[in-house]
Amino acid sequence: MASTQPPPTRPRPGYGTNPNPNPNLNSLVGSVQNMQIGNRPSQPPPGPAYVGGIPPQPNNHFGPPGPIVRPGPPPPHSSARPVGAPAGFVAGRPLSAPMVNNGPFTSPPGGPGPFRGNPPQTISSTSGNQGPFSGGPVPQTLNGPSASQTPFSGAPMTQPAVSGGPFASHPPPSSQTPLGGRSLPVRPPFSGPPSSQPPFPGAPPQSSRPPMMAAPPTSQSPFMGPVPSQPSITSTPPASQPPFIGGPFPMFRQPFPGRPPSSQLPYGPGAGQAMPNPSFPGAPPPSQPFNQMPQPPSHQFPGSQMVRGPPGSGISHGSQPWSSQTTQSSPQGMLGMSSTMAPPPPRMYGMATQAPVSPMMGHSPGSTPSKIDPSQVPRPMPSGSSPVIFETRIGGQASIPPPATSDFIVRDTGNCSPRYMRSTINQIPCTGDLLSTSALQLSLLVQPFALPHPSEEPIQVVDFGESGPLRCSRCKGYINPFMKFIEQGRRFVCNLCGSVDQTPRDYLCNLGPDGRRRDVDERPELCRGTVEFVATKEYMVRDPMPAVFFFLIDVSMNAVQTGATAAACSAISQAIADLPEGPRTKVGVATYDSTIHFYNLKRSLQQPLMLIVPDVQDVYTPLHTDIVVQFPECRQPLEQLLENIPIMFENTKIAESALCAAMKACSLSMKPTGGKLLVFQSVLPSVGIGSLTSREAEGRTNISIGEKEAHKLLQPADKNLKTMAIEFAEYQVCVDIFISSQTYVDIASISVIPRTTGGQVYYYYPFSALSDSAKLYNDLRWNVTRPQGFEAVMRVRCTQGLQVQDYFGNFCKRIPTDIDLPGIDSDKTIMVTFKHDDKFQEGSECAFQCAILYTTVYGQRRIRVSNLSLPCTSMLSNIFRSADLDSHFATFLKRAANDVPTNPLSHVREQVTNLCINTLHAYRKYCATVSSTGQLILPETLKLLPLYTLALTKSVGLLADGRFDDRSYWINRAFILSTALCVPLVYPRMIAIQDLASMEDGMLVPPVLSLSSDQVTDDGIYFLENGEDALVYVGNSVDTDVLQKIFGASSIDAIPTQFVLKQYDNELSKKLNEMVSEIQRQRCSYLRLRLCKKDDPSGILFFSYMIEDKTPSGLSYLDFLVRLHRQIQTKMA
Amino acid sequence: MTEEFMDLEQKDGIRMTWNVLPGTGQEATNIIIPIAAIYTPLKPSPMTLLPYSPLRCSPCRAVLSPFSVLDYVAEIWTCPFCYSRNRFPSYYPSLSQQNPPTELLPEHTTVEYQFQHHQYSIPTPVYLFVVDTCVIEEEFEFLKSALCQALHLIPDNAIVGLITFGTHVQVHELGFPQMPKTHVFNGNKEVTKDQLLDQLCFFLETPRPTVGVVAGPRDGLSAESIRRFLLPATDCQFLLTSMDPWYVPSDERPTRCTGTALNVAACLLGACVPGSGARIMAFVGGPSTKGPAPIISKTLSEPFRTHNDLKKDNVPFYDKAVEFYKNLSKQLLHQCHVLDLFACALDQVGVAEMKSAVQRTGGMIVLSESFGHSIFKDSLRRVFQSTDYDIGLSFNGIFEINCSKDIKVQGIIGPCASLERKGRLCSDSVIGEGNTIAWKMCGLDNQTSLCIFFDIATIGDFNEIVRSESNQFYFQFLTYYQHSDGRMRLRSTTISRKWVSGLSYKQDLLPGFDQEAAIIVMTRLVSFKMETEPAFDPIRWIDRSLIRLCSWFGDYQKDRPSSFNISPRFSNFPEYMFYLRRSQFVQVSNNSPDETAYFRIVLNRENVSNSILMIQPTLISYSLDLSPKPVPLDVTSIADGKILLLDSYFTIVIFHSTTIAHWRKAGYHKQTEFEAFAALLQAPHNEADRIIKERGSTVPRLVICDQYSSQARFLLAKLNPSVMHGSDNRPPGGEVIITDDVGFQEFMDHLLQRITNV
Repeated sequence: MASTQPPPTRPRPGYGTNPNPNPNLNSLVGSVQNMQIGNRPSQPPPGPAYVGGIPPQPNNHFGPPGPIVRPGPPPPHSSARPVGAPAGFVAGRPLSAPMVNNGPFTSPPGGPGPFRGNPPQTISSTSGNQGPFSGGPVPQTLNGPSASQTPFSGAPMTQPAVSGGPFASHPPPSSQTPLGGRSLPVRPPFSGPPSSQPPFPGAPPQSSRPPMMAAPPTSQSPFMGPVPSQPSITSTPPASQPPFIGGPFPMFRQPFPGRPPSSQLPYGPGAGQAMPNPSFPGAPPPSQPFNQMPQPPSHQFPGSQMVRGPPGSGISHGSQPWSSQTTQSSPQGMLGMSSTMAPPPPRMYGMATQAPVSPMMGHSPGSTPSKIDPSQVPRPMPSGSSPVIFETRIGGQASIPPPATSDFIVRDTGNCSPRYMRSTINQIPCTGDLLSTSALQLSLLVQPFALPHPSEEPIQVVDFGESGPLRCSRCKGYINPFMKFIEQGRRFVCNLCGSVDQTPRDYLCNLGPDGRRRDVDERPELCRGTVEFVATKEYMVRDPMPAVFFFLIDVSMNAVQTGATAAACSAISQAIADLPEGPRTKVGVATYDSTIHFYNLKRSLQQPLMLIVPDVQDVYTPLHTDIVVQFPECRQPLEQLLENIPIMFENTKIAESALCAAMKACSLSMKPTGGKLLVFQSVLPSVGIGSLTSREAEGRTNISIGEKEAHKLLQPADKNLKTMAIEFAEYQVCVDIFISSQTYVDIASISVIPRTTGGQVYYYYPFSALSDSAKLYNDLRWNVTRPQGFEAVMRVRCTQGLQVQDYFGNFCKRIPTDIDLPGIDSDKTIMVTFKHDDKFQEGSECAFQCAILYTTVYGQRRIRVSNLSLPCTSMLSNIFRSADLDSHFATFLKRAANDVPTNPLSHVREQVTNLCINTLHAYRKYCATVSSTGQLILPETLKLLPLYTLALTKSVGLLADGRFDDRSYWINRAFILSTALCVPLVYPRMIAIQDLASMEDGMLVPPVLSLSSDQVTDDGIYFLENGEDALVYVGNSVDTDVLQKIFGASSIDAIPTQFVLKQYDNELSKKLNEMVSEIQRQRCSYLRLRLCKKDDPSGILFFSYMIEDKTPSGLSYLDFLVRLHRQIQTKMA
Repeated sequence: MTEEFMDLEQKDGIRMTWNVLPGTGQEATNIIIPIAAIYTPLKPSPMTLLPYSPLRCSPCRAVLSPFSVLDYVAEIWTCPFCYSRNRFPSYYPSLSQQNPPTELLPEHTTVEYQFQHHQYSIPTPVYLFVVDTCVIEEEFEFLKSALCQALHLIPDNAIVGLITFGTHVQVHELGFPQMPKTHVFNGNKEVTKDQLLDQLCFFLETPRPTVGVVAGPRDGLSAESIRRFLLPATDCQFLLTSMDPWYVPSDERPTRCTGTALNVAACLLGACVPGSGARIMAFVGGPSTKGPAPIISKTLSEPFRTHNDLKKDNVPFYDKAVEFYKNLSKQLLHQCHVLDLFACALDQVGVAEMKSAVQRTGGMIVLSESFGHSIFKDSLRRVFQSTDYDIGLSFNGIFEINCSKDIKVQGIIGPCASLERKGRLCSDSVIGEGNTIAWKMCGLDNQTSLCIFFDIATIGDFNEIVRSESNQFYFQFLTYYQHSDGRMRLRSTTISRKWVSGLSYKQDLLPGFDQEAAIIVMTRLVSFKMETEPAFDPIRWIDRSLIRLCSWFGDYQKDRPSSFNISPRFSNFPEYMFYLRRSQFVQVSNNSPDETAYFRIVLNRENVSNSILMIQPTLISYSLDLSPKPVPLDVTSIADGKILLLDSYFTIVIFHSTTIAHWRKAGYHKQTEFEAFAALLQAPHNEADRIIKERGSTVPRLVICDQYSSQARFLLAKLNPSVMHGSDNRPPGGEVIITDDVGFQEFMDHLLQRITNV
């Protein structure tokens, strides 16, 4: 029962700042360590920082005083204004000092303050915008980076690219400027080369600059780069400019005006990214945005971007509608494409399209490419690595979340963190027609166990006692901040189904004058978007299961000879040290070849007893108990066993593998509890139930079938495995498969099992014991230590008017409404699609609630409930403006992954492209005011969609020439991938590393390069990573000194192909290792390094990632844009 | 009179119901008691061992015997069975009247040939232990220590394997040094030998032959792959690792898949050592509840089947299980392997169902209530020990019969199985394993005794039949077997019996009647009929047989019972029949089906003198004043101041009458002045020990009890209830048996009345 009164003995039974039981400390720490291959001890501070993810300091939560207390120097000027500029610059300073990593996180006292955002009370009135800097304190920053600052200061560092500069300098100014109106104009970003930063009013001393510059270059380049051409640009009204450059600048947005200064605070600094949206809502009239150009809906680009061919408008870049075209203010980017380019700005986007449709063009296709300035094309802006603070709701309105890939800190003010749930559109179309008109997707990307930022408040746990959490009696929705209490709180209205329920007596509370319960702020379930309820007996069909980890190792001849067996044993042996502690943790081990070998690890036995199940057609568990044993008890024999296994099977002659039978036998052993089954596999399962044939080879020999039915090889060979998988799911067994093979293993078939049981596939191909062992260990370690839950059931509910259409991800679905997840962890994302079944009223809100009932690794049963309430709109422009690029692309990716196995490839590629075209067309048709058909107009929020779409069509999964296993693996990966990792999967990040040493201290990851072979030079070394694999490309004429420093080799040929990155005693090597560690941390993945050399197959592999290039199978980026444009034109006509 | 038969038995190991045979079929039917022989093929006797292969008659395959007629000049011998003339092969040592071949010497009616092994090394016996792990810890410890001891006793050259079972069947890979390793087979599922060959990866290194019966080294199983599971006792130190760990709810019986375990064991042996001597030694601690042949469900409240249930055909599992073990026995027979059953449990374990597999393969059976009981421990020890009382375990036997053409073989009741070799000697009426002249005896020992039934083929009046020179019938029993030393031997026993016919045949037959053999044959026959003929009424059958026999051979005046008179050759027969009526073989409802099956298995393999004990035990009385003397098996033998020693074969009872018990409790025997008493107390124990030691493979249960104690029932049950409630001829300190059964006297009175009334 919830306490009724505040003071009672049981204040709030369950609320507490609970150490969130779920994310286990170690695991988090682990996550970090994960990245460090061998040397845990050396683990940098980040670890602890993460740990902080758990409740930092108690006062954190409630300590609004934070800011006030701040030790800041005397509060000179409390007024923001004057201070603004300087502060900004100062902030720049910190850049160097406050290290990115720790800075923000480590400083508890300061940190919290700002985040809290509470400070406002004191300062708000005075310093409105300053808030973020906590008014007073800010100024002092000059003197020294005050604690409070750090958080922000940190930001600049990482942000460098885009926002960096601006930021640093800006925060203050920005906040003010906006107030003042467009302050931006000040900045003629383009006018000068990158370094031109000065334009900023506050342009800080150079010192701060450089960092930013360094970073931005690449990303910025598109805009900045074209300096030469600038002329044309320059002409654009300054005002418009800022948007380009400064995606960062967004802050200025109206938000300020619209909203109470206090709420803004947090954004001040990070503004760049996060801000934008809130502003919308804030903006009174929906239409506003249009008039007010300022609306930079996109995170990065504040202003709508309109790239036009010179002819299009005098304002080439200026997409800046504002100045020139006020009307066109809506957030959109326009790529002007006109064949009739004016000579001067030839480099601009202008291009000749062949599309006959366009009256304006009549040029020969051949000329097309040359007419576009590649550097002007939209490209991803580097996301800063300094965190931005994001409040989920501001002033009763949902805010638009920052890009998934950016670094941000969430403050849950009613809506859940976008990490947990992210909508493709942040305003819900009132009708289904409107949605289809927009040609956008309406989906949620749900990642219920997403890793929080270390500085975020942990999820609060609420215990309603025996009665269990309060729920709507009709739809069973859980109590949430959007349920409305009426009649003095005696009854409440469900925000999902609208039914009215009696408030239980012990949950009664009077309403305040504002119509809200007086205790709202004390009850997490009424003020937080995400809470966790303690589950009562009602939610259990049995006692919560213990954490069971069962390891199944391939010991067939091939596995033993390639070293895969030894690698697996060694990985397990090390990883078990990090298993959740406590008596409830259980482990088991089995090996298999043509038979299945279990081991009785019970301690009383001197030696483990090996139990072989020889019947692989009809398997069973050989023992009832003692196969899965309490971990601490059996640790020693287990380690001994793992050491012995490779020796025992050293000379095995058994080449067959009974993988599926083995999995089934293990699942039977685990039947009483359920748990995680971690399978290490090396060869195609060839005997026993579920055995498979080498379909790939068959497909090749029979070409006629191969061509037509190629995609069938991406489908499971038969239904046996699916049946088996469903059975596993019933036993609550979650299967992860680590495939370390050198041949075809039919991932398409095997993956059905992880996919149905909430597990995942890991793939090491071609397996090398030398270079892959470390990754195997790290993957395994992260697998067992990451935050996770067992025997989960998840359901997403939404307000009437919408209904859940389908779920995509790794789970087992037995009834239409729920999905069963034998295992769920921080890396898994589930896409939920919706369809309208009714209309919404303009101005009403549509809520989504994801409830997941699960068991923690410590055996508590919990219900994690995340709520997201979004405004409904009938304005198409609002829909576009609130579209979320990352999640949108994620839906593209996941749908494509879903379609590939069932459709011919060309079909899928076409479909993906059409999705993109339809969206752009809808925008062009209904939202763009530019009438010229010669321009390709992109919605600002989605301006990168074409690029990503192109990348998707060129990705491994959608290319016909890939190995089937590679493609199946890709599909599997896409299925579970979090929003933040979707883009990198198809559009990796490329970094030049030869000059790493000269990079400024504190910046761990240098700016990225666009994926074009133009960027790759022969004297460079490049690092390209997609979140899973990393390629290190070494040019042909790299300075030997650099080679020596990085690889410890004097020539390219001396570097072993199966290379392992080592750290040498020099700056460059050190920085490189730091960078790799940082990237690994960001991706939560230990990258699989591969060395690539020019004129070598590996080099070809590397260049296959150059998405923007023309390839045999795909257009170049520019050509692709031309094609899009042409098709849109066709449609328009 | 019995002595002469025993002498004959001593010489040839054979006893016949009729040692003078009727000459015609009609006459044979008249005499009621079937013509049968109880033959102990390996009866130890000082016979000659011939180190060469026997000489055989080319048409009928009979072996040269003393009854063959030899023409030394022509070097030709005539077979007494088919009258064919055969040449002596040239290699036979110098033939002459003075130096006849050994096997022709008249005293050598039984000789043994030992074959020379050329191509194969001498096979060594294989012992595959199949051990139940579903037992309580105490029992498990007993079992472990017994097995350890057995392992020490096993001859070093013997090959050993281990299978344990419970819920599943675990085949232990003893030849895997790194760690204990077992292959676990699903307890629910039968496997075939082919599956087993695959699943145990026997053909990993050599390709598997695609055709034929695949097994054994000849088909490419490498010695190493066999050595994984079966290895020399010296190299093998197996540890029974653990009891069956599966959880058993308190209201259930453990899950025990005895059937599957035996199936797997049979397949393993079939795959590794087909055709060479091997024993599956099953140690079973409870009923099978799972797999192909459960005998009862797991629900503890469900009672075990009783004879009554079986009679009513009311047992769901029974027929299926019986069928399963029948098939198992076929497989074992095919592979020449033996199933020994050590059933040690308070509950029944399913001996009744397994009976066919044990009996047909010639296996041993031990039934006791615990693995800690001396019956079990001693029996197990006896299997392996090589002392004076060596039971001479042998393997792989084939038993063949030759006889004069007027004799037909009906069949055998005993531990053997038909090889289905039909011949002219086969009778149309079949008893037991019939329709063949050759039988398989996978396992046999010194005591194994077969009961062979014969039929006289001659029809009609004998006078009209022209017979050849002699009035003898000849019988030849040939037993090939693998001696415990591993070598193949052939024992040949050839005997001849006179036949009589015509008017006086009844009188002529009398001297040849062996009433002991007769009662045993009748016992085996009644048991067999009870098992195979559903509506069979044993009491009626026994009574009718006795009445007809007595009326045929006795002299009497109608309606005057006192006038009845019969040859002394029949003197004990009615009494035997009386006790047979009361025996465990007929009065089955006093025992569980398992016990009955056990008694019958033992009966069917025992020789005459031991079997007699089962029907009519011996009772010896010890007292201070008299030397020990046999006393009638009658309740009146119980008297004060006496110690009785009862030997009923399965049980030996030492019974202390009240006074003796009183003295013993007072401890007089520990006082020096009462040495005599101590000696008296000790005497029956010494005798019991002697009996137990000499008993052979079946160790009797020793019961020591006092008068009026509950254990005394073991004695009372066997006694003739001549003194019943209300009788007045009660000796001092005597006993009264409270029963509805009739006493012997009453039985005889009725019998005579019936005979004379006919």
